Amino acid sequence: MKRKWMFTFILLIVGFMVAVQYNTVQQPEERDTRDSWAIRNELAKERKLHSELLTEVRALDQTLGKYNASEGASAGKALADTVHGLYQQAGMIDKTGPGIVIDVVPSEESVAFGTPLHEVSPELLTRFVNDVNRFKGIDMEIDGKRVTALSAIRDINGETTVNGLPVSLPPFQIKILSGDMESSEKLYNFLQSSSILDDFYLDDFVLEIGQPQSEVTINGRIDKFENRFLKELPKGG
Amino acid sequence: MWLPILGLILGVSLGFLSDIHIPQEYGNYLSIAVLAALDTLLGGIRAHLQRVYDDQVFITGFFFNILLAAGLAFLGVHLGVDLYLAAIFAFGVRLFQNLAVIRRVLLTKWSEYRKVSTTNTSK
Repeated sequence: MKRKWMFTFILLIVGFMVAVQYNTVQQPEERDTRDSWAIRNELAKERKLHSELLTEVRALDQTLGKYNASEGASAGKALADTVHGLYQQAGMIDKTGPGIVIDVVPSEESVAFGTPLHEVSPELLTRFVNDVNRFKGIDMEIDGKRVTALSAIRDINGETTVNGLPVSLPPFQIKILSGDMESSEKLYNFLQSSSILDDFYLDDFVLEIGQPQSEVTINGRIDKFENRFLKELPKGG
Repeated sequence: MWLPILGLILGVSLGFLSDIHIPQEYGNYLSIAVLAALDTLLGGIRAHLQRVYDDQVFITGFFFNILLAAGLAFLGVHLGVDLYLAAIFAFGVRLFQNLAVIRRVLLTKWSEYRKVSTTNTSK
């Protein structure tokens, strides 16, 4: 009987040891293999997010303050202001501000060689828009068509279109608004040194980038948004 | 027979439930200790079957082997020689030897049992 208990005790210990060993082998401790540079990058990303969120909170606080201040007397005006701001944000109305104007013209060589004039391809335009969109807070218009987050640049029946409207043959203008003159300067310098100029040149076009101006006006979108998901609340509801 | 198995199950579940982790650098020692424990256990079973089992030899052998194996591995790490391989080799060989002896003893017992039962039925 004593022997049985002895074996039980020993087997208990053996079982425990095997289980612990199994645990150790199966779940190795997760190691943090990031070096200080990767951690710094991550920290920078989080900081940026933090600052963006703060900006947003501040803007919302301001709106709230406006509502509170104008309670009763001009609540309607505050609401209209908000709607106006939203329209502007969505690119539905004209906007004026500091920016640059770019002329897209056929290159001198293609004119000299008599190469037939063709449209700017949708791929090239998309590339350009993507390149410029590295800068935040910009508004753009291509040949009078406002480019918003919902704009599509594509080929429809052989024609390059923006928002479904055909882009005319060069020369035409691209206007870009940025928040202030400083950003316009930055954008101007960026475009001057950008490889997108070479891409346009390969397609026989030249981008003539104008100096930053304090007042550039761009059009709002002509077509209305299709609202598929939001429904109007019943009156008095 | 059932009590030792119950002990084993209890030990395994205790180990899993406690969720204990050994740091990676000590994993070697534990694996060698497990091997030493298994070796002693099989040795004990063999001795039991051969009727030469002794409590004191079994218990002291169990803990002494574990400590010695872990100590050898520890010494090996500090000397820069993989001494734990020697322990693995020694315990491994003994483990198989013990298993072979156990198998033979059980076979002999089984054939004896069969002989007895066949003579019983033929009578």
